[in-house]
Amino acid sequence: MKQSPRDKKLEEVLRSTHLVAGGFMGSDSRHPIEVIEQDIIALEEAGMTTARLSQRMKELTEIATPRLGNWIDGALGKLRVKSEDFKGALVCPWPHPGTFDKRITTVEHLETGQQVTWTDLNIHMIAEHGFFEGKGAFFRIEPAEIVSILFEDEAGI
Amino acid sequence: MIDFLITVSIISSIGAVLALILVLCERYVVNYGPCRVTINDDRELDIQGGSPLLTVLRDEKIFIPSACGGRGTCGVCKCTVKTGGGAVLPTETPFLTKEEIADSVRLSCQVKVRNDIDIQIPEELFNIQEFKSTCTEIEELTYDMRRFRFELVDPPAIKFVAGQFMQLLCPKYKGSGEEVYRAYSIASDPTQRNLIDLIIRLVPNGICTTWCFDILKEGDPVMLNGPYGDFRMSETDAPMVFVAGGSGMAPFVSILSEMRNTASKRSVKYFFGGNTLKDLCMANEMKAFEEQLENFEFIPVVASPEEGSEWAGQVGLVTEAVQQTYSDLSKHEGYLCGSPGMIDAAAAVFIGLGMPEDKIYYDKFS
Repeated sequence: MKQSPRDKKLEEVLRSTHLVAGGFMGSDSRHPIEVIEQDIIALEEAGMTTARLSQRMKELTEIATPRLGNWIDGALGKLRVKSEDFKGALVCPWPHPGTFDKRITTVEHLETGQQVTWTDLNIHMIAEHGFFEGKGAFFRIEPAEIVSILFEDEAGI
Repeated sequence: MIDFLITVSIISSIGAVLALILVLCERYVVNYGPCRVTINDDRELDIQGGSPLLTVLRDEKIFIPSACGGRGTCGVCKCTVKTGGGAVLPTETPFLTKEEIADSVRLSCQVKVRNDIDIQIPEELFNIQEFKSTCTEIEELTYDMRRFRFELVDPPAIKFVAGQFMQLLCPKYKGSGEEVYRAYSIASDPTQRNLIDLIIRLVPNGICTTWCFDILKEGDPVMLNGPYGDFRMSETDAPMVFVAGGSGMAPFVSILSEMRNTASKRSVKYFFGGNTLKDLCMANEMKAFEEQLENFEFIPVVASPEEGSEWAGQVGLVTEAVQQTYSDLSKHEGYLCGSPGMIDAAAAVFIGLGMPEDKIYYDKFS
């Protein structure tokens, strides 16, 4: 696949360890555009859009944030959620200004024990760039898995 | 429609190519030549242009505090660029107020020295030193928190005020392709001038904390610089409320040591919050401070004690414990250290209980 200079630069930034330890691509050898395309297909097959998924992630983070890192369960059906913030910020690797609190949200399905974890930057990258990170990256999110955890109760999913 | 898309594509492509040419020229062709940095109308540095101001100053052993190591994400490395700094970049604007922009305040990590430049920095920054040290002790405080002791080698001693912080240089390693600096509060007694203790909490996938936890070993050399920061005990007699969580413990250990050294009789209640019992630490040291200080009380608070545990202390959020303890904080001073969320929540509680905003002290980044 012939890359445009912009795509080449993006790949360089995503693979570099300048912004996060290990980079955003992990051990994934595919080009980021390929990763994005294949993840969007997986998301669509799960009956989901990036807008709806990122909105749900954002809602859960906002619910959990006031509890300062403690689990909230009971009011969320089969899910429990916690959100913990750390000093510092995360920077979006795309070429636009964008810094996000270093806040990590974890959601656990109480029956299956499945867990999914994201940062505020993940929410932004999914919403704006359709990027779930490369396989092997620390905060890689599997599209089908997160949909099955966050939307299990919804009809049509 | 197709014409429109073709036009957009052509314009985008031209833009991308021009941007690439600029980047390549900047990297490989442009030579900014010698530039002069004038500091405080007094000191002059003759350097080779092309590097960020923060780096230029650091290379000259002038250390502007920065919590993110120059990534433009903390907004700490501000200085006044009187002339030669160029236009304010979009990466700086989120961290600058309108007044600061009007006063020519810039983020030194984002200002590239391309020509002669005239800057103003606080005189006290000239006192900040770089220290070669050796990590002599690593102590597990909790499952995700460790205390690192660094013995100073060159220079062999430091003078700091309890509450200040240091920057630690994290070298290149497998997970990080470049050196980065990170800021950590000092947790040692200011009278122990030959060493620095830092309490560091592991940040998932954090560049520097991963290095500290996975790679740094006792006996390894470590570069530090500092001390920085205005977070410190005031010189009043007002009763104090400390609130901390996690590695926010660090500056309070130092401040309590200082109070012990000076036989302070000031009233302090220290609320330390953990999510579970596993998050609590340094109970014995806090007990010793309670014995040594006349008016000090340590109040650990656990949000969700493990089932079956025999925890007899306070249960709930640390902010709730403060609310339950006080009805009026208008005569108190508040000191906060911990995660940004905890600091925001605790500051809101202080203000709600009548504490004046200018009596609430914290370093969010330390």
